Amino acid sequence: MKCDRRTFVKGMGLTVAAGGAALSAGCSSMPSSGEEMKLRFHEYFKENYRLMTQLEKEQTVERLARLAKLNHDIDVQVGTQEPLEQVLYGYAFNVSRCEGFMDCVTACVKENNLDRNSKTQYIRIFEMEHGETDVGSGDGKYFHEVPVPDHYYMGVQCFHCESAPCIKACPTKATWREPDGIVVVDYDWCIGCRYCMAACPYWGRRFNWGEPHVPRAEITKKQHYLGNRLRNKGEMEKCTFCIQRSRNGKLPACVDACPTGSRVFGNLLDPDSEIRFVLKNKKVFRMKEELGTDPKFWYFID
Amino acid sequence: MPKLRLVTILLLSGLLVLAVAPALAGHGIMEKVKEANEPFDSLQIDTPLPKNTVQVKEEYQGGAFWVLSRKDSIGRFPCSRCHGKKKSFKREGAALAHGDIELVHGQGEERPECKSCHNEKNLDLLSDKKDREIDFDHSYQLCGQCHFRQKSDWVGGAHGKRHTYWIGKRVVWNCATCHDPHSPRFKKRWPSTYSLPLDK
Ligand code: HEC
Ligand code: HEC
Ligand code: HEC
Ligand code: HEC
Repeated sequence: MKCDRRTFVKGMGLTVAAGGAALSAGCSSMPSSGEEMKLRFHEYFKENYRLMTQLEKEQTVERLARLAKLNHDIDVQVGTQEPLEQVLYGYAFNVSRCEGFMDCVTACVKENNLDRNSKTQYIRIFEMEHGETDVGSGDGKYFHEVPVPDHYYMGVQCFHCESAPCIKACPTKATWREPDGIVVVDYDWCIGCRYCMAACPYWGRRFNWGEPHVPRAEITKKQHYLGNRLRNKGEMEKCTFCIQRSRNGKLPACVDACPTGSRVFGNLLDPDSEIRFVLKNKKVFRMKEELGTDPKFWYFID
Repeated sequence: MPKLRLVTILLLSGLLVLAVAPALAGHGIMEKVKEANEPFDSLQIDTPLPKNTVQVKEEYQGGAFWVLSRKDSIGRFPCSRCHGKKKSFKREGAALAHGDIELVHGQGEERPECKSCHNEKNLDLLSDKKDREIDFDHSYQLCGQCHFRQKSDWVGGAHGKRHTYWIGKRVVWNCATCHDPHSPRFKKRWPSTYSLPLDK
């Protein structure tokens, strides 16, 4: 598999010390070619995504695509689509409609190239007893026929808070809120300290404790730099409202896959959007609203 | 007096500013939403219409919208293949031809029967309470006669779902894409995956 930043630096040090001879030491699979070495070198010293020029963005995604070809023998397209003007994404979840089928989770794992080894999932569905409102008391790992009478289901994922504590916690500015409201991570600037994870009151973030693995045939090739491109060990990740889809006009994979229509997604700045209809006409609430995190994710009932 | 001093100290140290969440200070998302009343050009991205769609015979808050059609998915359509002019509704025949159809739709007086929905004069069409003829692709009109709230939520976007895109021409699923009209409740089933305990 790939080399992470730290091991790579070790490898680089060795190269200098041994005059380029002992390349294979220190990392299970060191760059196998001069080309790969060069690509990795540029990747290592690139800027934070937010400070890159358009040209630099194009160059890095080209390198990433080439590296995916060299390492996994697949042809990926890593996009850098910018936010659309006058768009701020919002999400609503109908707790009286979800039946707990979890098709959203399956679709999300596939779309976002989530690690299969650790069974990483961005979305968690809690089975809750009627009358119960604290997700902490719900069952997040049920596996039986659903829906169970007298229960309801509540999906939790990153809420893309307007006032996000995770952003404030990051010491390297590797995570921030985009103009369209999506809270993203520049995986290459993440140092893996996990402060953001600790700061999030909603269990929204996922950490790669091991080297993530996705079977080659299952890799989603349409990717975004800030979204579902392949991650490495030691990097933080989370839901991005499927930035690679939403910025191309598509619904996030979870919304698209939901067979019950419990998930509503759209532009909060469009007065005619469905999400605005829900906010205007339904009883809505947000999780732990008192914390002042100002999530862009609402729950509603009919 | 001590109270006031505390506030001053807090103010000076900037703690109070932290304590007052931006949401409360008037820059929160709800304020942004309330202020956003300019129309948004949803057609700036030209999304393809799936080929099995028809335009809905009414409008939502954003104007015209489309719905996934049904006729191409109904195995026994057109019904007139068998239901010709001769009106010999024999029960045994029905059991043979439509034995798979069992009505489990609501309870009590109001619950619909075959002819509440199907047009006896022409089975290629549906018909509602007022004997209005309805095309199978527009069966939402039929359902809406008895389910007013769900219908208006469906038009507005709080019931049912959008097809593929959040922008562009709005295409939604039909009531019958999700609900079998004869047995509309969703069937129980196993979830498609499960989750591991959250790591600490
Ligand atoms: C393969 C032939 C066939 C097709 C196609 C067919 N039917 Fe029938 N249907 C029958 C027969 C046979 C009967 C019973 C004899 C009769 O009433 O003519 C029947 C009876 C019915 C009845 C009366 C049932 C009752 O219990 O009173 C309804 C309603 C009906 N069909 C609806 C439809 C509709 C709607 C379609 C199209 C979506 C359709 N049928 C397509 C053969 C067919
Ligand atoms: C003639 C009136 C009528 C029509 C037309 C009608 N329904 Fe119903 N439906 C009912 C009644 C009555 C109930 C029971 C409602 C209750 O218990 O509150 C019901 C219940 C339901 C339920 C809840 C599940 C259940 O079995 O109680 C669903 C879902 C539903 N209908 C969907 C539809 C759909 C989809 C259509 C259009 C294909 C439709 N209905 C057309 C009268 C109608
Ligand atoms: C609540 C309204 C409603 C009632 C009551 C109802 N139907 Fe239907 N039926 C429909 C609609 C709507 C469709 C088209 C379904 C679709 O779009 O898939 C349909 C489809 C059918 C079909 C074609 C199914 C297929 O997949 O080929 C047959 C046959 C049929 N109905 C017969 C009957 C019979 C017989 C009864 C009475 C026992 C009955 N229906 C009662 C609304 C109704
Ligand atoms: C995306 C799928 C989907 C579509 C499209 C859809 N529904 Fe539903 N509907 C559901 C689900 C899920 C439920 C939850 C009830 C259940 O367990 O079956 C439901 C419940 C209902 C109920 C029962 C009462 C309630 O509100 O829970 C009615 C009535 C109903 N729908 C009518 C309609 C009508 C009428 C339309 C079209 C105008 C429609 N539905 C379109 C998924 C859908």
